[in-house]
Amino acid sequence: MKKYTEEDLKEDLVNQEYEYGFYSDIEADKFPNGIDESVVIALSKKKNEPQWMTDWRLEAFRIWKSMEEPDWANVNYEKPDFQAISYYSAPKSKPKLNSLDEADPELLKTFEKLGISLAEQKRLANVAIDIVMDSVSVATTFKKTLAEKGIIFCPISEAIQEHPELVKKYLGTIVPQTDNFYAALNSAVFTDGSFCYIPKGVRCPMELSTYFRINEGGTGQFERTLVIADEGSYVSYLEGCTAPARDENQLHAAVVELIALDDAEIKYSTVQNWYPGDENGSGGVYNFVTKRGICHTNSKISWTQVETGSAVTWKYPSCVLKGDNSVGEFYSIAVTNNHQQADTGTKMLHIGNNTRSTIISKGVSAGKSQNSYRGLVKINKNAKNARNFSQCDSLLMGDLCGAHTFPYIEASNSSAQIEHEATTSKIGEDQLFYCNQRGIDTERAIALIVNGFSKEVLNKLPMEFAVEARKLLEISLEGSVG
Amino acid sequence: MLQIKNIHASVNNKEILKGINLAIKAGEVHAIMGPNGAGKSTLSSVVAGNENFEVSQGNIVLDGEELTELSADQRAHKGVFVSFQYPVEIPGVSTTNFIKTAVSEKRKALGLPELAAKDFLKMLREKAALLQMDQKFLSRSLNEGFSGGEKKRNEIFQMAMLEPKLAILDETDSGLDIDALKVVANGVNALKSKDNAVLVITHYQRLLDYIVPDFVHVLHDGKIIKSGGKELALELEEKGYDWLIK
Amino acid sequence: MDNNDIKIAFDAFIKQHAPDVLTAKRKEAFETFTTKGFPTKKIENWKYTSLKAVLKPNYATVNTVSDNTLEQVEALLAAKSETYKLVFVNGVFQEQLSDITEEINVFSNVLKASNTEINQYFDTISDSSEAMVNLNTAFASSGAFITLANNKILAKPIELLFFAKAETPVFLQARNLIRVGENTHANIIEKHINLGEAIVLTNAVTELFAAASSHVQYTKLQNDSLLSNLVDNTSVSQQKDSIVTVNTFSFGGKFTRNNLTFHQYGSHCDSVLNGLSILDGKQFVDNHTLVNHNVPDCESHELYNAIYDEKSTGVFNGKVIVKQAAQKTNAYQQNKNILLSDTSNVYAKPQLEIFADDVKCSHGCTIGQLDDKVLFYMKQRGIPKAKAKALLFYAFANENVKAVKIPALRNEITHIIASKLDVTFDLEV
Repeated sequence: MKKYTEEDLKEDLVNQEYEYGFYSDIEADKFPNGIDESVVIALSKKKNEPQWMTDWRLEAFRIWKSMEEPDWANVNYEKPDFQAISYYSAPKSKPKLNSLDEADPELLKTFEKLGISLAEQKRLANVAIDIVMDSVSVATTFKKTLAEKGIIFCPISEAIQEHPELVKKYLGTIVPQTDNFYAALNSAVFTDGSFCYIPKGVRCPMELSTYFRINEGGTGQFERTLVIADEGSYVSYLEGCTAPARDENQLHAAVVELIALDDAEIKYSTVQNWYPGDENGSGGVYNFVTKRGICHTNSKISWTQVETGSAVTWKYPSCVLKGDNSVGEFYSIAVTNNHQQADTGTKMLHIGNNTRSTIISKGVSAGKSQNSYRGLVKINKNAKNARNFSQCDSLLMGDLCGAHTFPYIEASNSSAQIEHEATTSKIGEDQLFYCNQRGIDTERAIALIVNGFSKEVLNKLPMEFAVEARKLLEISLEGSVG
Repeated sequence: MLQIKNIHASVNNKEILKGINLAIKAGEVHAIMGPNGAGKSTLSSVVAGNENFEVSQGNIVLDGEELTELSADQRAHKGVFVSFQYPVEIPGVSTTNFIKTAVSEKRKALGLPELAAKDFLKMLREKAALLQMDQKFLSRSLNEGFSGGEKKRNEIFQMAMLEPKLAILDETDSGLDIDALKVVANGVNALKSKDNAVLVITHYQRLLDYIVPDFVHVLHDGKIIKSGGKELALELEEKGYDWLIK
Repeated sequence: MDNNDIKIAFDAFIKQHAPDVLTAKRKEAFETFTTKGFPTKKIENWKYTSLKAVLKPNYATVNTVSDNTLEQVEALLAAKSETYKLVFVNGVFQEQLSDITEEINVFSNVLKASNTEINQYFDTISDSSEAMVNLNTAFASSGAFITLANNKILAKPIELLFFAKAETPVFLQARNLIRVGENTHANIIEKHINLGEAIVLTNAVTELFAAASSHVQYTKLQNDSLLSNLVDNTSVSQQKDSIVTVNTFSFGGKFTRNNLTFHQYGSHCDSVLNGLSILDGKQFVDNHTLVNHNVPDCESHELYNAIYDEKSTGVFNGKVIVKQAAQKTNAYQQNKNILLSDTSNVYAKPQLEIFADDVKCSHGCTIGQLDDKVLFYMKQRGIPKAKAKALLFYAFANENVKAVKIPALRNEITHIIASKLDVTFDLEV
């Protein structure tokens, strides 16, 4: 594919000089494939960003160029061609929606399949939704209620314009541009994402929610999320992802940064259901995500992850427990089927005194899939009385799949107490027969057993998400036992 | 109601049942007794439809319907219930949730509407009271950490909830102390009606003091070698099995 | 010592040794080593372990043995327990101090004439991905060569004693090939003892073949001086119904790296990996274990306990691989660590890689301290703190010590533990 060069850009600037930049006469407002500094500049310009933001992106791009794509994870895939990706794409026509009902019917269909149609969502009075369709936010609701409390919940592109001081202060502080290959790329070319700020002492009255969806074929998604909970505040943030079927692999490299200041609490829940590829392992989304949060004194960050989608997943939501008495939690259920590969886990870095962390990770492997847990628990030299409890359980279905556990445990303080447990087992034939005898067919029985296995994690999800998550688990294991 | 005709069954190519014939009418209680290894538990597995047992000959007919080709869950929907000798544990799945699933699957198969949550809970409470089940067991994971007696009680509780036509009690007395045995037997007796039947499989006569059979069959080496009334059980208790096995 | 020094040493070694059955293999292995070089922290399996300091001294690879040293060794052996001994000093076999038989032999005696067993077994199960194994193969010429017949119960344990005494730093390579016949029971003990004032680096490789229904217990008692460094690679191959236990007791030495690998090739075998480290000062011990479940119906039981004091550091990396064919595998792994000081470090990485579904596998890892509540409870019952600690340490260590079948060895280990922890056990083990 032809590379989009600086020369091309110059030419474009000469030939097509109008407000929204390039290609707005084409139906999908989309950059040609490829990346170099000019693309980064153009992207930043297109989003009308201040100079500091453009510089920050360029710095990230230079860092990214000097890095190599990592290959330590227990996954095999064809490395994406970064020059074959378009780094910006807006929806086909810019919808100005008066109500959510005007959203793309395709989008609604996907939601409906999951029993979470937008119409239904709207009725769920306590959920504010900031829909990110491809890369541009198309609808934001409940803004007013939130504004009354001083809560900022908006696309990050808007935050860069409206609240530059907050973005400048916190962006890249937890996941620096240098962090890893994909985080660097994201920093250079992120198109949009969510921004959330909860002021001091405010308890956010509703679950904040965002649905991401990959829409345009061949469009890399580089979302950037920044959540700041100021002193003594509380927020619960939900993120859910769905994608329609695709033949070619799609790359998703998001970055999520959470900042919990003193006495604050952030609960971040994800239900991830991107297209996993078909049963022959063709197609599917590559999900390489960097998620990390920092906990200041007495604060708490809790990650809950339910993942059933993506062809390849590479994700380790982590907590830096910097402040004394801070708490990090990670609850995860990852289900892989067919040819899916997941290498997921968490890092808990104990720096402050009396810091506590809990890791509950459940993996279900079926078909020919490979499911790995990779985690790090690190107790720093000066972290007195740190505690960690980790439990990693794997459930295997069928004899062609694999379940793997790679925990790293590092302790440098004698007052540390760490407990790690892992088990691997299969669904027993006797359990299935028992269910059959009670009139429950094998498919239902598996769903029941998997739900029981995942219970500790599902219980951590907000109610409306838990229902959806349960459905997802069932859908993704359909036909896994003959 | 139930006709077992010339059933031959084997496991791992070893024939265990060598031609069983048994007819049970609605409202009757039958007991199958026999020494260890006679094939008692195999019989209950075969009627329930456990695929580890291969049926080479014969039929099982329930209310005129051929069961032999049906899967275990389909048979359960037709009204076959087995109280297992060793009930399994299912971590994370509460007893209530499990039974609710079983009840609604059965209703679905029978074309009945879903039971309203309120009605289901009412039934759950009534049956729990019948079996003197502590409510807290209902919210615990199915059979996980239950004592032997609690597991058996839970089996009969499920029987009460599922209202089967044919209940097979497989060594239900094993692992039960006398008080628990009475509760379980009372439960079974309370559920007995002119429309259903019970098949008790036991090694010892003790349970039959509480669940009184109309007929007793002696199973040995895969065949029923003697049938009689309830007095046969007492005779077996006194004399053992040797006098029957020459 | 760097990659260049080792090249010079190898050339000298080849020149010195007349061609024998291993010459070609040595050259090939050295080629492999040269392309890899000494392992660095960049390699995942060496992530927490640096050889930098260990390789700093200017090691000699060839050494002589003085008469004084031999007298000293002889005096030490006179007090020793009843075993079949194979004694090496500075890598040189000492026949006059050993109990050599047709079955219990050494490499230096079998290398001259063509030997089908060497062709068939040598370097077949050792971990050739490890550069240190390649290096050992390149220099392989000294160590035990044991072939035990079928249906035998060995009257006494076999003891492999590797002494060192030198004026300047010395690098030794020990190589053992041990085969235990069908239905034969054997106990083997391995020790490395530095009698001198100079730094010693030992690179040891052991290949142990356990035939069907054999029972083998192999105990490594690592209680060397603080001038000693040890890199050990032990690989075990098991046929059906065999039971092999490898005990690794690490108390002494400055730097110890143990790689222990089990390969199960027959059904119904049991692999037992039992390790205890008690460290203080600046001691460093790294235990890397790997159990390969290749076939169905086998078990593995792994228990590694450790107590770290002062500035000591411990690494535990335990991996269990269950291949797709290995249905009905039961694999258990437990790693327990007690940290006694704020300056001690522990890095643990228990791993499971499972490709079969009908398996029961679990691993557990804990890092903690002696429980204050328990200490208080014992105190309330009138047990002074020191005594209470001794009891608790004893209970902790005894989980490993009790697995040792030879009473004299068990006693020896208990005494080392008592003195190392500065407690008195007045309990008979």
